[in-house]
Amino acid sequence: MQFGRKTLQEAIDWLRQEEAVRSNIIHWHTIPEKEAAVVPLPADIAPELAAALNNRGIEQLYTHQLLAYEAARRGESFVAVTPTASGKTLCYNLPVMQAVIENEKARALYLFPTKALAQDQKSEINELIQEVGLPIHSYTYDGDTPANIRQKVRKAGQVILTNPDMLHSAILPHHTKWVALFENLKYIVIDELHIYRGVFGSHVANVLRRLQRICRYYGSDPVFICTSATIANPLELAESLTGKSIRLIDKNGAPAGKKHFVFYNPPVVNKPLNIRRSAVLEVRRLAGEMLKNKIQTIVFARSRVRVEILLTYLQELVKNELGAKSIRGYRGGYLPTQRREIEKGLRNGDIYGVVSTNALELGVDIGQLQVCVMTGYPGTIASAWQQAGRAGRRHGESLVIMVASSDPLDQFIIDHPDYFFRRTPETARINPDNLVILIDHLKCAAYELPFKQGESFGETDIEEVLEFLTAERVLHENQGQWFWMNDSFPAHNISLRSASQENVIIIDISVTAGHKVIGEMDTFSAMTLLHDEAIYLHQGVQYQVEELDWEEKKAYVREVDVDYFTDANLAVQLQVLEEDKKQEKGTAAFSYGDVAVHAMATIFKKIKFDTHENIGSGPIHLPEVELHTNAVWMSLDNNVQELSEERVENGLIGAAHSLKAIIPLFAMCDPNDIHIVPQVKASHNEKPTIFVYDHYPGGIGLSEQVFNQFSEIINQAAELIRHCPCPKGCPSCIGTDTAFPTAKEDAYRLLKMFL
Amino acid sequence: MGLSGKLQRMKRHIIREEQDKPAEKPLVQQPDIPYMDEWERAGATPYVLDDQWCLIREVRYPLSFQHGRHRFSEVKQAVAKWNEWEGAHPLSAKGHQVSDLFFFDTETTGLGGGTGNIIFLLGYARIQGEEVVVRQHFLPAPGNEVALYSSFLEKVDYTTLVTYNGKSFDWPQVKTRHTLVREHVPKLPGFGHFDLYHASRRLWKHSMEAVKLVNVEKEKLDICRTEDIPGYLAPMIYFDYVERRKPEGILKVMEHNERDILTLITLYTHVSLHILEEGEDRTSREKFEVARWLEAVGEKKLSAGAYRKLVDEQDKEVQAMASHALAFHYKREKNWAQAVALWDAVCEEGALSERIEAHIELSKYYEHKQKELLKAMQHAEAASSLCNGTNKRLEEDLDKRKTRLMKKINR
Repeated sequence: MQFGRKTLQEAIDWLRQEEAVRSNIIHWHTIPEKEAAVVPLPADIAPELAAALNNRGIEQLYTHQLLAYEAARRGESFVAVTPTASGKTLCYNLPVMQAVIENEKARALYLFPTKALAQDQKSEINELIQEVGLPIHSYTYDGDTPANIRQKVRKAGQVILTNPDMLHSAILPHHTKWVALFENLKYIVIDELHIYRGVFGSHVANVLRRLQRICRYYGSDPVFICTSATIANPLELAESLTGKSIRLIDKNGAPAGKKHFVFYNPPVVNKPLNIRRSAVLEVRRLAGEMLKNKIQTIVFARSRVRVEILLTYLQELVKNELGAKSIRGYRGGYLPTQRREIEKGLRNGDIYGVVSTNALELGVDIGQLQVCVMTGYPGTIASAWQQAGRAGRRHGESLVIMVASSDPLDQFIIDHPDYFFRRTPETARINPDNLVILIDHLKCAAYELPFKQGESFGETDIEEVLEFLTAERVLHENQGQWFWMNDSFPAHNISLRSASQENVIIIDISVTAGHKVIGEMDTFSAMTLLHDEAIYLHQGVQYQVEELDWEEKKAYVREVDVDYFTDANLAVQLQVLEEDKKQEKGTAAFSYGDVAVHAMATIFKKIKFDTHENIGSGPIHLPEVELHTNAVWMSLDNNVQELSEERVENGLIGAAHSLKAIIPLFAMCDPNDIHIVPQVKASHNEKPTIFVYDHYPGGIGLSEQVFNQFSEIINQAAELIRHCPCPKGCPSCIGTDTAFPTAKEDAYRLLKMFL
Repeated sequence: MGLSGKLQRMKRHIIREEQDKPAEKPLVQQPDIPYMDEWERAGATPYVLDDQWCLIREVRYPLSFQHGRHRFSEVKQAVAKWNEWEGAHPLSAKGHQVSDLFFFDTETTGLGGGTGNIIFLLGYARIQGEEVVVRQHFLPAPGNEVALYSSFLEKVDYTTLVTYNGKSFDWPQVKTRHTLVREHVPKLPGFGHFDLYHASRRLWKHSMEAVKLVNVEKEKLDICRTEDIPGYLAPMIYFDYVERRKPEGILKVMEHNERDILTLITLYTHVSLHILEEGEDRTSREKFEVARWLEAVGEKKLSAGAYRKLVDEQDKEVQAMASHALAFHYKREKNWAQAVALWDAVCEEGALSERIEAHIELSKYYEHKQKELLKAMQHAEAASSLCNGTNKRLEEDLDKRKTRLMKKINR
């Protein structure tokens, strides 16, 4: 029985003292407070602006803010690497405001990855503008901008806040309505640069090529101001995204409060199988303790499903003390109004806890949270630090608990805290010249302005592509120029976000007279999450899919109350189309090239909450999906030293599992961006082979990264298996797809053979 | 070797022959226009500007020509009538001559707005003396837009565009494409704009499924097109022309565009005569819509006059609508007796929504003006029972009204 509520300090002591908790803490890392490094405001700053900053309590700048200001003033494009709460907005707002004050014609375009962030920043910059007291016009331009002010925004907006999607489909194709902007565009601000990776980043790089092409047409040459979270290659990413030469500003002068970073590994409950207690259940306990004491806590989980499960648990736990509404879910599938409401509740303190997917990694301003609990390693070091930054954004002591799951990568990280705290974070990769993506944007660009002979678009020589499009009667060549010659509006058919262009709409039919759209999902995820009979969770409510209408891309769901969730299998076939690079090493051969992938959802399992036991299964009837992409495949000679085919097969399955865990340490990607398929006899060479492919048509550079670093990657995967304490394989090393007695030893052996 | 020897030896590299030929004027070459004979036969001539060109086709019609229900000469009468008319109206040509009107239509390569949607045909008609002159400027291939817009803008001195949906489509698109060549061609002048699409919707949306120009032609103007290619095929035909250069299909598109433009003259005439109450065979519903339009643009007196003429109509529906509208007019003028008489009639004859409104108005009148609370209550009750669950908000208002009346009655 306890009296009163714990403070954060008492909660920290509880962690250190409570035996059942303490024994699971593998590592306790304390990051000391950091003093601010400050400099006076620059001398050339407009007096109104300086006064406004003073009124807001800013009498000095952090060193990196000054460097940013000076670079922007010199017309140098730069990327500022800024952790959470380091005052990054001044890195762009200061030079932009100064420019607009000096010349009212000057224009700036701000790009945020989401509409929500743009709205957030609009309030921030408007507060500053009000303080300055000069008539400076800043507007958001997105789907919510009312039609009657759009013209005003286009003509008079000095600072336009928008997102890449809007730029792509609404601004660039109508650039003649934006002459005032493009003729005078001085700064382009790209906030949250690190988000622009993979498919999305590759698309956005092309949108920026189009943007700069239009700027050249109107005679402007804007300076790029980028801000990024900590990743391994901010400079490279900024340069390949913008095509400009960029300066790196990474000396952060902002102060930071004391932070406790706790590595927590759930206890082993089944020694022979090395099975640990579920991370979800551990998080329920830890986060529940915090929330019961009204300590504002954010819980991160990797998948939508886990968010929903945790939400159900935590709401149940505190419903008598705080009320279920004080803990909310937050993820991408929610509709904007729901998300706005949650953000507001967090800021004004009506909400104590949030369970979130990575959507909240973005800098949405939710104010001060004291504790951050991660359900499993978030997949990348960069994203772990982003999430950790959610606790104690503005000084003060804070606590971060990372609860490992049984996933091999989690176990690797939790066993190697040094690795986590010392290693450079991951590399963000984009491939703007992915042919599928490039051609999509060449079409849009030709629609916007005809191409001239000798004109370039990024690095690629595009003449051949233009000729191809001419032959396809999409373009028309006349006097050395290529013109759009089609009755469609190309940007409407191209989505920057999802691998597939079509999304499945999720419709709740629980109320017969009131069918309601509750969310949407890309088609590839829908195959395994929205098939008939799947349990789909939304805001902690369970729905069963009654019908997935694949033709119409609609899923009809009905609210249910069951004690299980569903998990689907995907069967994959691979065919090598072309080999671009090859390297041989003794008995092993590594290749990189083009493959065709055929994927089909086969069956699903019903898995009970709490115990996670399998309580049933069923078939999935959906058509096969085809994908042409880049892949790495590694083969061993057939006479794999006296191992039986069965042992090779199971060994490969194990090896593939460990590789899947390790690859995200090298390439910054979501676990689903890269797929791994082992084959005991690959159809193209009849040899034992492991395929690693980019899960996007045409590839986005991930498998190429794997090809470049394969020996390092294989080495780490082998180490992962060797260090695992289990006797014969467990989810933390070789996975559970194989239960063969020698699988663990064979997986290690096969990996070593590749070296 | 001395420098001079070196210079001698290098002379040929150092001293170039000074060519004193005058700088050659670039010869404006007549472009080689494929199938020019066919173009000529269709009345088209080339317009060349530097290395760009376009084609201008001209067709003339005598004013006595009858296109559908009206002769072209009638547009002159319509403009004259506007100038005599006392009211103000968005389609009014007051202060204009008939030659100021610029009947305008375009053909484009796509549907929606957007930079890449190319206008390949700019067509217009004007009244010049005793003739209608139709002129079409045709873009033979993209990359000739400077020629297209220069030829188009060179001679325009119009003051008022007449279009069908040009306010939201044709003209913004002209602006968009013009922006792309704006440094090489004259500025776009300012202008007035009569959009006959909006006019047609006002008059006919109740009787037509889609108020498209072809439907208006067929149902209202007695224009029947034979051998006309449908407008939606125009982009495909143009793409084919750009590739194969045979004018045949494009000439069909030009004919289509010409028809559209001529129809604008007939339609403007027709709608003007409607508003000016000059047209024959006007249906009572059309008369009512004209009256309503006048009311909407603030011509209260004129609209009241028009409603008054409809109160004795045969058509019961229009009669009720006109009576109802006129009653509101009398109410504004505080002519209660007239208003009440009309609403009493509407309560008997009107459509459901009008009857409800009439009862409510009468209830207000008896409550506030006559202080006859029981009568007011009766009308409120009548309105309620007519609503019968179809309009929640209205019924809530009525409930409030009834409660208030009840209090007053019991006082």
